[in-house]
Amino acid sequence: MRNRLAGLFWSLVFLAVPVLGVAVFAVAPSIDVWLPKDVSAHGKDIDSLFYFILALTGIVFIATEMLLFWFVWKYDEAARGDQKATYIQGSHTLEVIWTIIPAVLLLFLAIYQMNAWADMKMRRPVMKPTVEVVARQFEWRLRYPGPDGDLGTPDDLFLVNDLHVPVDEDILVQLKSMDVLHSFFLPNLRVKQDAVPGMKIPVWFKASEVGQYDLVCAELCGWGHYKMKGRITIESREDFDAWLEAKYREQEATQAEPLQEDL
Amino acid sequence: MNRHSFFVCESLQRVMQNASPALACTLLLCGLLMSATGCGKTPAASFRPNMVEAAKQRLTPDQEAQVATILEAMFGTPDDPVALPETGLDVSKLRLAAGPVHSDIVGRKNGLFREHCSHCHGVTGDGMGPTAAFLNPYPRDYRPGWFKFKSTERADKPTHADLVTILNNGINGTSMPSFALLGEAKVDALVEYVKYLSMRGEAELSLMRYYFELDDEDEGKLPETREFLVEEILLPVAERWQEAEDAIIDVPEMPEVDLQESIALGKELFYGNKANCVKCHGVTGLGDGQANDYDDWNKVVKQWSDEVLSAHDASTSEMSREEKAEHRAWLARSDKALAGDALDPRTIQPRNLRQAIYRGGRRPLDLYYRIHAGINGAPMPAAAGTLTPDEIWHIVNYVRSLPYEYDGELGADRSMVARDRL
Repeated sequence: MRNRLAGLFWSLVFLAVPVLGVAVFAVAPSIDVWLPKDVSAHGKDIDSLFYFILALTGIVFIATEMLLFWFVWKYDEAARGDQKATYIQGSHTLEVIWTIIPAVLLLFLAIYQMNAWADMKMRRPVMKPTVEVVARQFEWRLRYPGPDGDLGTPDDLFLVNDLHVPVDEDILVQLKSMDVLHSFFLPNLRVKQDAVPGMKIPVWFKASEVGQYDLVCAELCGWGHYKMKGRITIESREDFDAWLEAKYREQEATQAEPLQEDL
Repeated sequence: MNRHSFFVCESLQRVMQNASPALACTLLLCGLLMSATGCGKTPAASFRPNMVEAAKQRLTPDQEAQVATILEAMFGTPDDPVALPETGLDVSKLRLAAGPVHSDIVGRKNGLFREHCSHCHGVTGDGMGPTAAFLNPYPRDYRPGWFKFKSTERADKPTHADLVTILNNGINGTSMPSFALLGEAKVDALVEYVKYLSMRGEAELSLMRYYFELDDEDEGKLPETREFLVEEILLPVAERWQEAEDAIIDVPEMPEVDLQESIALGKELFYGNKANCVKCHGVTGLGDGQANDYDDWNKVVKQWSDEVLSAHDASTSEMSREEKAEHRAWLARSDKALAGDALDPRTIQPRNLRQAIYRGGRRPLDLYYRIHAGINGAPMPAAAGTLTPDEIWHIVNYVRSLPYEYDGELGADRSMVARDRL
């Protein structure tokens, strides 16, 4: 009966995969390793898509894992003794079923997510860029257009890593890269877009809550990738305008002043 | 093989006898990984001696060892920095920045320099970290004590605040990124550590050069008295750092003339003989003027490698046997120092003034400092003696208009920079 124990052991190991897998997902939100707080207008769409796909793949995952467990358990050599396996040529019906079901599901997902995709990547708000973000090894260089609203004019404001945007307004970021591939990632705003050298990529979002959140690089861009970190500050229009003006005054300084530390 | 890995191997063998080959291979791999990573000890970090200067000064091995001993007594090691009171440095800040990356007993991050700076600037601050050779311009070598972007006169040290500004803003146009989000305390500690490394580097240079001034009765050894080391070596460096805090350039107000008029005056100066900016920055301001010069860091290496090259070619026929052997040894050593302890010298590009990228800061004030004091270590000369403050302001205004100049005229509706269209 020694081998029967081995069969039991391996079937339990395979059973542990779905059990632990589901347990991790069940526990994760309560120990704060779940999705970061969503402070964007469109984030609900992204999150609900995420949850929908998670549920779908979750069901498939559990079903396949349980099947695996069941097969290992049921067809253990030691338990079945000398009973020979039956040779079959395959089942056309089964194959059609397990091809068509995933195909239908994938097609459904492709159509179901279209609107969210179009909102994020195609239906750009008609406006001039709020800010230009130039990714560079290993920092985010920012350029605000200044009062005239145009980039590339003498009233531009130049900053690094410290992105500010007004709340409840459409924000259009013009994203560039100075050297290699980077990815402009605002986890709390559910925004992630690769920055590609030579391309000028529009990214837009609308923040729904004031606060300070991370701006990180989500594309391995070199040895310093892990610390290519900036910060986004979402604030009221008045605070934003006041901040812009203060920064512009700092940039145009003709006299040394005591450092205004506002970080 | 050390004890630990011996046991690993032994138990692995036992496992292998009883288990399937696949399992045994996996375990073997794990064991190898463990002994490769967990059991090997990293040697303690050490400061790298300035081999270029040592070879240049023809120091004997004994003298090199003496310099290292003195420096360790005066400045400690990368893991355990020492700052004599005369340096005016804050040891608690140095401790935060020095050493390997770790969290201390209250959970504060230590080893900031090695976490954020040494990749490029090297543990010694010699600008020769592992990534240095990839970068253009090369990372700053702190050891000669020259700093470019500051609010003090050309030959002066930068103020503490100047270095804080550099760390906060980064240096646009170079590989130096912004460290503003580290927070004030960490940036402050890092600046203190940069000053420490710079003082150490300068002390090393002056120790190595001091052998040349020794009398015969000293028998090629520097006196190791505290008096000599502090008075002759440390104070001349430390005092200049302390003096810098009160030596900020006095900037008069910008003259009250119409901006367009000021720009026109600046343009005249830019192209004129008095300021002669055009010589290097080019008639178009694209930085395409004289471009075959070196900055001082590269010049040191360039001149010395030329010297070594010509020594290679020099005739040795009149030398005695011993002299020849000594000459060959020196050449071999110099070649080694040039290959291993210096980066290939590179010419310096005059700044392209049409890009709106200003390394030392884009405030009019920063540009005023640059023109007034020049850029230490670079060919950019100080204009303070030749130009009046008003004239400097005019050039500042002209330079600031260059990125947006269209058809030679500022104020036209369209800028020279390609418009960003949607």
